[in-house]
Amino acid sequence: MRRPFPARPRAGHAVPRRRHAASATWEVRTFVLVSAAICAVFLLVVLYLSQATTVATRGYETQSLERTRDELRRQNALLEVESARLDSPARIEAEAKRLGLVRAAAVPVVQAEPIAAKR
Amino acid sequence: MTERISPNRLRVLFALFAAATLLLSLRVGYWQTIGRTALLGAATDQLRSELVVEAQRGVIRDRSGAILATTVDLRSLYAIPKRIADHADAAAKLAPILATPAATIRAALDSGAEWLYLKRRLPEPVARAVEALAISGLGFEPEPKRLYPNDTLAAHLLGFVNDDGVGQYGVEGVYDRVLRGVPGSLVVERDPKDRELAVGLRTAVPPKNGADLVLTIDLVVQTAAERELRRAVEREKATSGSIIVLDPRDGAILALASSPTFDPARVVAADPEALRDRAVSWTYEPGSTMKAVTIAAGIDTHVVTPTTTYDDKGYAIIGGRRLNNAQGKVYGTTTVTQILERSANAGAVFVGSKLGQDPLYQYLRAFGFGTATGIDLAAEASGAVRPLAEWYPVDVGTIAFGQGIAVTPLQLAMAYAAIANGGTLYRPYVVAATRDADGEHRTAPAAIRSPISRDTADTLRAMLVSAVDRGISHGASLTGYSVAGKTGTAQIPSDDGRYVDDAYISSFAGFAPASDPRFVVVIVLERPQRKLLGTTTAMDAFHELAIDLLRNARIQPDRP
Repeated sequence: MRRPFPARPRAGHAVPRRRHAASATWEVRTFVLVSAAICAVFLLVVLYLSQATTVATRGYETQSLERTRDELRRQNALLEVESARLDSPARIEAEAKRLGLVRAAAVPVVQAEPIAAKR
Repeated sequence: MTERISPNRLRVLFALFAAATLLLSLRVGYWQTIGRTALLGAATDQLRSELVVEAQRGVIRDRSGAILATTVDLRSLYAIPKRIADHADAAAKLAPILATPAATIRAALDSGAEWLYLKRRLPEPVARAVEALAISGLGFEPEPKRLYPNDTLAAHLLGFVNDDGVGQYGVEGVYDRVLRGVPGSLVVERDPKDRELAVGLRTAVPPKNGADLVLTIDLVVQTAAERELRRAVEREKATSGSIIVLDPRDGAILALASSPTFDPARVVAADPEALRDRAVSWTYEPGSTMKAVTIAAGIDTHVVTPTTTYDDKGYAIIGGRRLNNAQGKVYGTTTVTQILERSANAGAVFVGSKLGQDPLYQYLRAFGFGTATGIDLAAEASGAVRPLAEWYPVDVGTIAFGQGIAVTPLQLAMAYAAIANGGTLYRPYVVAATRDADGEHRTAPAAIRSPISRDTADTLRAMLVSAVDRGISHGASLTGYSVAGKTGTAQIPSDDGRYVDDAYISSFAGFAPASDPRFVVVIVLERPQRKLLGTTTAMDAFHELAIDLLRNARIQPDRP
């Protein structure tokens, strides 16, 4: 008894379909991979640019703060000079004179030893 | 119908394209190889800026820390005339603020310059007022300016800084290298708006700022000294004057005043003669203040004692010359102590004669006369003590009472300090310490030598107290305190070797409290109008100054 031949797949049907499916999967994978790579590169570039921009912005802010610091230091130095000018004994003496104050004619000095002895 | 393109045309087009590509490639290749350096240099020049970062000049302070001199960046006003819309309007607005005629400002703006300073180093209120005008085309640039908060105070001692930032005269001159520091550098890359690139190149060598100086000067004492000098000079209409206050225990200068004076912040306007420090750079014949030195030498060599007597006839004859007492006074029998009390020239000649030329010369040199003291101030004069070989016989007499010898007020002060401190001659100094990044470095007092013994110094101190208590120096006495001192009146030598008629230099040298001297004061007035009575004014100045010094230092009275 002859065994029946297995049914031959019909040309252009089952095998092309599988091949087509395999090809489609490869294309999809490739597309996805390439897309992912492009996205990754894009994201990396964006990340880099974002960081570079942030650093540049911070740099400008730092410079601005440094300028502010320098100006404050300058103002502080000017105030120190003004303070020294106001503390000048010559100015104080002149101001006291203008207010009608006079130098003490005599300054009594208390001897420390007698006080200590009394105690 | 489609027209076919000729293959030849395509070949030509291709050939042209290929040639252009080749040329461009060659050009690019050139710039990448041969022209790379030039291109890179040009790009770097645009991008990179190299700056010198100036070091901050050190601050000068007094012994208690008060600022005497400091450097602050003040704003200089510049203009870019092309950017100023209306020159006339801008000039009119600026004129009252800058205290400059509008026409002058207008002329500067119309001069055709692209960029110019209108006024440099403006006081801050003026800069703010200009800023408030918000005139387009005006801008500010910081420039360092040396400021002296006490104006003319201690001007000779401090010196000044010129427009190039170089210190001259005084402490500024001597310590210029210490104060100036070492400039640094900064290399950065900048964007087109001249802002520093945060991610660019940055190479910085930080500047080493100048050291701060702490002086031995006491601002209160200096103020008092200048006040008394000003009063004395005005009262006597003296041509010049000076006051030195120093601590005899170590040679530290507490105050140094000189008249005429100048404003160190406006040296350009100063009279050149005013720049001369009369206390350090000027010499004079000291007159009778020198008698203390002569007698110190006589006592130290035991040729006389305080009680040794001589017969004062009103004059002394030596080397064939007659040397008179002042105003021809005759004192009769006089002790050596009374020589100081009465300031008898004949007495000084007596001691000088007993001493002899060589010992007198040696003692003068030992006390530091004829040699610069070595103080850390610019342009110190050394005075003049003629070599012994050049002495005439009369010189031992004249030099004994302070004529025929030239000293600086500072030298005289140091000699009196040696008498006050028990016989040690110190090197005077004005910088007590330098402060830099490594910390504070204090100046150690330097004893040079001992010209006289302690016994001699103690004896002379008592004799000088007697000169104030009972003698012609009584005007310098103080209630509650013992004062030692001696007046001096000297003639002024002229260029022809004679003395100028009716012109004198009056002085007083003294210290207090005599029991434990805390300060030596020397006051010198040149050509006082009251002539021989100029010493009275010098003593008055000492009296007033000493009261301030004793109060300021809280020194207890040593007398009931």
